[in-house]
Amino acid sequence: MAKILIADDAMFMRASIKKILTEGGHEVVGEAEDGQDAVEKYAVLAPDLVMLDITMPRMDGLAALAAIVNANASAKVIMCSALGQEQKVKEAIGTGARDYVVKPFTPQKLLDAVNRALAMP
Amino acid sequence: MNVAFINPFITAGVEVIKQIVGGEVEQGQLSIRTAIFTTQQVSIVVGVSGPVQGQVIYGLSQVTATKIASAMMGIQQVEFDEMAISAVSELGNMISGNAVMLLSESGFVCDITPPTMVRGMNVEIATQAPSLLVPLYTKCGKVDITVALSAVPSPVTA
Repeated sequence: MAKILIADDAMFMRASIKKILTEGGHEVVGEAEDGQDAVEKYAVLAPDLVMLDITMPRMDGLAALAAIVNANASAKVIMCSALGQEQKVKEAIGTGARDYVVKPFTPQKLLDAVNRALAMP
Repeated sequence: MNVAFINPFITAGVEVIKQIVGGEVEQGQLSIRTAIFTTQQVSIVVGVSGPVQGQVIYGLSQVTATKIASAMMGIQQVEFDEMAISAVSELGNMISGNAVMLLSESGFVCDITPPTMVRGMNVEIATQAPSLLVPLYTKCGKVDITVALSAVPSPVTA
């Protein structure tokens, strides 16, 4: 079981992802509504993994990813976005994201990505 | 407006609705609109920026919005509450995100803004005109997709 932080500006997505992760045996230790909130909660909660949306107000997910990885180079972050163009995926992976899940997704696809990221050193 | 800009939104709309709402989705007749007034009780507005820019508006009745939210949440949603609003807004976000992914395959790499909801009919939305509207008929009712996008001219270099 891993401690996971979810960052998405949509209440519906936070609830959906939380349900999938909880049923998959993980513990959701926090929820963030934008990138800035995610960076601040990451520092306080020190989760094993972060699920990070990209299109969010105040600070987007790619900026939040850079801030989290800058604070902890071994941070495990999975991007979870409706934006799936190659350029975004390359930018996220290049910045340090462990995986990239495009919305909409199946519960199994999300859990597979989480378990792969958790198995990485 | 370049008609080619609407096709990714139709394709993404059909595929995303099939995947997260279920059932068949049929495309209705395309029409030109010279000014944008909301035609439905619930409108989700998503901005597009980059080499193609403007706005995309998803219009649906409150009954349809509530049915779609129920399908997305997997529960019978009676009220169009905060969670239902979030679900339907996310539908607009997913369709737009998948559509700009298709646009990027044509060389137009764009971004989208977080969705904004407008409640009420006949609300004017300032955008570029003319725009194109295509209705999608779903098992939950009609979803109007209005696309008001234009290509940004490339800067002239000396």
